[in-house]
Amino acid sequence: MASTQPMPADGPSPSGAVGPATHPAPTVLEARDLMKRYPLASGPVEAVRGVSLQVRAGEFVALMGPSGSGKTTLLQLLGGLDRPSSGEVVLEGERISHLDDDAATRLRRDRTGFVFQSFNLIPLLDVIENVGLPFTIAGQDVRSGEPAERIRDAIALVDLTGKEDHKPHELSAGEQQRVAIARALVTRPAILLADEPTGNLDYTTGTEILEALWRSCVDRGQTVVLVTHDAKAAAYADRVLVISDGRILEDIDLGRREDHAAAPLITRLAQLGL
Amino acid sequence: MRGLAPYAVRSLRARPARTGLTLAGIALGVAVLLAGLATNGGIEASIDRTVALLVGRADLRIEAFTEQGLSARTVAAIEQTPGVAVVAPAITRRTYLTPTAGRPDLAPPVDVVGIDPDVESRVRDLVLARGSPLLEADEAVALITDRLAREDGIDLGSDLTLLGVGEPVRVRVVGILEGDGPIIGSAGRTVIVPILTADRLQSRTGGGDGVDDGGLPPLEGTPEGASPSAESASPTAPGPATPDAVAGVPATGISRVDVVLASGADPVAVTDAIESALVFEPYILERPADVAAGLRASTSDFRATTGLLAAVALFAGAFLIANTLAMTVVERIRELGLLRAAGATRAQILRLVTVQAVALGIVGSLIGVVGGSLLSLAIVSSLRSIGSVPVDRPDLSAAVLAVAFAAGLAVTVLAAIDPARRAAAVSPVEALRVRGAGRGRVATRILWLVAVLGLVAVVGSLALPAGKPPEGSGRSLAVYALLLAAVLAAPVVLVPLGGVAGSLFRPLLRLEERLARAAIARDRGRSSITVGALIVGLAMIVALGAVATNARGAATAWLDDVVPGDEVLTAIAPVPLDEASPEVDLEAIDGVVRASPIATFNLAHSGQRLTGAALVGADLADDGRLRFVAGDRNDALAALDAGGVAIVPRGVADRLGLVLDDVLALPASDGSLTELRVVGIVERSLPAAGGDAVIVGWPAALGWFGVRGADAFAIRYAPGAPAGARTAVEAIATERALTVNPIARVEGALTTALDRVFGLFDLLAFAAVIVAALGIVNTLSMDVWERVREIGVLRATGMTRRQVWRVVVVEAGILGIVAVVVGVIAGLGVAALLIVTAGGSVRGVPFELPWPTLALAVVLGVGLAMLAAAWPARIASRIEIAQAVRSE
Repeated sequence: MASTQPMPADGPSPSGAVGPATHPAPTVLEARDLMKRYPLASGPVEAVRGVSLQVRAGEFVALMGPSGSGKTTLLQLLGGLDRPSSGEVVLEGERISHLDDDAATRLRRDRTGFVFQSFNLIPLLDVIENVGLPFTIAGQDVRSGEPAERIRDAIALVDLTGKEDHKPHELSAGEQQRVAIARALVTRPAILLADEPTGNLDYTTGTEILEALWRSCVDRGQTVVLVTHDAKAAAYADRVLVISDGRILEDIDLGRREDHAAAPLITRLAQLGL
Repeated sequence: MRGLAPYAVRSLRARPARTGLTLAGIALGVAVLLAGLATNGGIEASIDRTVALLVGRADLRIEAFTEQGLSARTVAAIEQTPGVAVVAPAITRRTYLTPTAGRPDLAPPVDVVGIDPDVESRVRDLVLARGSPLLEADEAVALITDRLAREDGIDLGSDLTLLGVGEPVRVRVVGILEGDGPIIGSAGRTVIVPILTADRLQSRTGGGDGVDDGGLPPLEGTPEGASPSAESASPTAPGPATPDAVAGVPATGISRVDVVLASGADPVAVTDAIESALVFEPYILERPADVAAGLRASTSDFRATTGLLAAVALFAGAFLIANTLAMTVVERIRELGLLRAAGATRAQILRLVTVQAVALGIVGSLIGVVGGSLLSLAIVSSLRSIGSVPVDRPDLSAAVLAVAFAAGLAVTVLAAIDPARRAAAVSPVEALRVRGAGRGRVATRILWLVAVLGLVAVVGSLALPAGKPPEGSGRSLAVYALLLAAVLAAPVVLVPLGGVAGSLFRPLLRLEERLARAAIARDRGRSSITVGALIVGLAMIVALGAVATNARGAATAWLDDVVPGDEVLTAIAPVPLDEASPEVDLEAIDGVVRASPIATFNLAHSGQRLTGAALVGADLADDGRLRFVAGDRNDALAALDAGGVAIVPRGVADRLGLVLDDVLALPASDGSLTELRVVGIVERSLPAAGGDAVIVGWPAALGWFGVRGADAFAIRYAPGAPAGARTAVEAIATERALTVNPIARVEGALTTALDRVFGLFDLLAFAAVIVAALGIVNTLSMDVWERVREIGVLRATGMTRRQVWRVVVVEAGILGIVAVVVGVIAGLGVAALLIVTAGGSVRGVPFELPWPTLALAVVLGVGLAMLAAAWPARIASRIEIAQAVRSE
């Protein structure tokens, strides 16, 4: 089943729900009929085929799908890392999909945050400097003023207080990824986009990362879009968009829950044959 | 392996930019090496040709030691020596052609060679391009070189008027010789006349005219029939009975005699017999090998430096190749892991990389051979001569081409050893799991460096002059060792010095600087090798600049230190210091303080040839000339004019172990031993072939050493001398056949000659820097490739393209600054080494820092490095974020 529209979950409402926002939050991110084609010698390949979606403020959305389904490409289009072949992306009311490079760069620096599977920290920089990288790029001093305060806040959020002076090689893999999350959150972006952030981590460490992301939603109202192929990771989300063959196959509303139980989602996915 | 070989080549073709860059590096290195080898080979061949032309088939050459020359009795004594088959006397003299209507200005001087046409053909072949040969010993005819004919617009049948001591001598051109003729150092301007015609040039009475249309009037002011004043001071020792005259040979004034031995004659026995028979005048007996050795010695420094630079360029090329192949390994780590997982052995992987190196080496070296051939042709056409050796073509023989090609290939393969070993060491599991190759161990790289430098030193030694004395080879080895030390210092100083260098960028580009330093530290070995190549190139530029600056200083220091005048009037023949000497007229000119006579002549001491200079002590004292390092200045200069003393330049004093008040025993022109007391040691005196000249007073020069007159007059003008003073001096100079040489012009000519040679060296060193810059392109490209994900994340985090571009350029800037600092220190060290071992001429000149060269090194090192970074920086800045963050 292919659809370009969000669909309500067919199954029963998941247990353990803390309940979605009781009043509708404004839409932060909207995709309208997004298409992404790659020209190949054998003919163009469509990685994303006419996807439309909306993400509300403070919402935790997971994009889930098998390998090659187009979920990472969709995430990159949503975050302004790549340009769609057609359609548009609107972030906080501004069309971002066709910005020039400078404007897109400013957008990434100020209004989006990214977390990748590889942590990609700068080896020479300590935790504070890595977290404060967006400020440094913008020419701000990370050791004083508001940037310093925000950095402290972000480090505390990912539970790394006390390790501010550590270099990346002095941290565990989970800690390094948490530094990457803090770096993505430090500018208090409109949206945080995470691409398989637990892909390189063991279960326990991966859980720590998902907890950190979820907490940022709960505690700070951070909007998060997570790409994953792992149902247990997706179960942290309020809503799961199942991607297949470049389209949204299913929009599963799980609601905000503290137990992050994956069973309802797995059941639904099984119903979908995934 | 057959299956992997095409894969190796295909892999190179798949990366055309990097392959092209590497080929350019190899080609440049080989081109500079070949240019050095071919130029040096050309000089070597030219020396052989020059010697062959100079001495022809002669087995011995007897040269006059004093200005009086050899006499007919000496010629006769040689002829009578058993075992001598041919005796060919000759007179050589430098003079001027008088201006004509077609050539109103005084042209550069010509060298006149007087030969005996009867015997000359038995000694050497004078190949005629046109016309007919000389036939009689006393004809007013001449052969001229093709170059002289072209430069002065002279043709067969033209009449030439040669300035002589007495009347000018007019001759008619009957033949044009091929090439530049048999005289070295004449710049191809040679006139060959019958020996008795040449004799008339040095005779005060014998000028005249053998041409039908009558002779020129005698030069005004030249007293006819006046005997040279030194004539009487040249007593002849009684010798065995020999005829006083030989048919067709002048009675005296013969410059040299070439001797061909009879077939089967024992050269040693004949030499001994000649030496015991020659008792009439002082002489120098040389064999062709001695002449060749002298010429080789005069070009050895040039050839040693060329060889050194050629080797340095190849050295820089080796860095580039090693980095490129290492980069290929890093890039293809997954492929290599896959091949290993699929069953390829370590040996196969090793061969895979080696095949790539061989392919690169063959193609790059071939391109280099072609480029080097063209470069050597350009160098030779620009140089034309080194010292007194004319260079007309490079040696592009198969052997030279093969050596350059083989050296290029060998260095390439050697440079591939480390990357190949690293490739072979790739574990399939690791390669497929992680990105980036393991770093090379520092110890391995040091060994590699030593091996490459060793090979380059061997190749460089091929470009060293043959027969170079051991200290010359030692000097080159010391330079190599110093450069190696500088390169080995690079990994040690890279990080701390990089931090200091980064502080220059930090105030404005804080983040970029930190990221750049992180990139440098990422693979310190690779960064060090890149910096090392640049260090070597810059060090050579700095060293050459410093040596050139000091050589210029040394070359002109004697003008300020010794010559007591603002300009020098040079004579074509010794001007007697009698009542008719121009000195009197010159000093009578209003505005002329003094006209001081100067002469140079040969001296012998303990079998060594020295040069003597006759100067007026009072003039030197009044003019404040000579810098004394020992002895009382006033006493010494006063004693000089009294006679019996000598003032010795420091170089000669050191060489002969002389100190103040030592007695210098020198053979006089009559064969007796003259003793001169050393009354002073000076920093330098007049430069001469055998080191600075020993200064004696005029009484000693005229009385004992056969000096017949002044070769030059130094004119000192009074401050604010009237403009007419110079005009009056020029008038007297013209009248007395003297050439006016303002000191500034002499200085300019010396500087120009040095600039020409050092310009070539700079070009070769610049080529080495270019090769190093290509290495920077490669290294930074590799850094960018390795950091593609990091750059993607930085871009995703908000870094602009411009900031990414700046990170890479700042990285290059830091590498460049480190290279400049180490390169400048190493370069000054090399310069000090070269200057200290250069000997007397440069010593005593205060070491001067070559500021323009240092500025050039900064611009080249930092500017070129940053320029070289532009391309990789552009690649980095244009990385697609989506692909970069996806790439694993």
